[in-house]
Amino acid sequence: MFKKKIQIENAVRKLRFNNDEMTQQQLAELVGVSRQTIVAIEKYKYTPSLDLAFKIALAFDMEIQEVFFINQ
Amino acid sequence: MNIKIRNTMAEITGASVAMIWMWLNLSEASIMTIQAVSKVLAQGIGGSIILIIALHIVFNILSSIITGQYEEDVDDERDKIYELYALQVSSAIFGVSIVATLVLLGWFNLTIISGLIAITFSGFVASILSLLLKIYLYR
Repeated sequence: MFKKKIQIENAVRKLRFNNDEMTQQQLAELVGVSRQTIVAIEKYKYTPSLDLAFKIALAFDMEIQEVFFINQ
Repeated sequence: MNIKIRNTMAEITGASVAMIWMWLNLSEASIMTIQAVSKVLAQGIGGSIILIIALHIVFNILSSIITGQYEEDVDDERDKIYELYALQVSSAIFGVSIVATLVLLGWFNLTIISGLIAITFSGFVASILSLLLKIYLYR
C-alpha cells in the first residue's frame, strides 16, 4: 500500500488569493525561498520539505494538513 | 526564462565554448608534446571558469534590460536538492569515464596524451549533462 507513489497536492494558490491576493514573491520572502520554488510548489512540480511545508502553513495561519494533502 | 535556467544556460554555454576551443586547439594532438597538450587543457579549464562568470554577468544584465527589473538569485532547499541530483549524475559519468579511459589506455596501448584529453573532455561532458538535468528539473 505504502509503496505506491502518492501525489501531494496543496491549496497554496487558493490560500494566497484568500489572503489579500498575496503575491508569490511576498510568500517566498515570508518563508525564505525563491519565487520559483513557490511557482513549482503551486504547480505540484516540487514537494517541499516538512520544514518548508510548516512555514507555508504558518504563513497562512493554518494547520499543515489544510494546506498540503494527498489526492486519493 | 527564470534566473535559474538562465544561469544554467550560461554555464552550459561557457563549458561548450571552452570544449570546442580545446577541441580545435588539440586537432594536432598526435604530434604535440605532453607539455603543449597540458597547456591547452589548463587554458581551456581556466578559460571556461572565467567565461562562465562573464556569461552569468552578461545574461543577467541582458535579462534586466529586457524585462526592466532585477531578479535576485536566492538559493533554497529546492536548489540544494537539484544540485545534489546534478552532482550524482556528473560524478557517475565522470567516474565511469575515468575507469573506461584507464582500461582503454591499457587495452589499446594508447598514449598518456590520449588519456589526458579523454579524462578532461569526459569531465566537461559530465558537467554539461548534469547541467542539462538541472534545466530539465527547473523547467
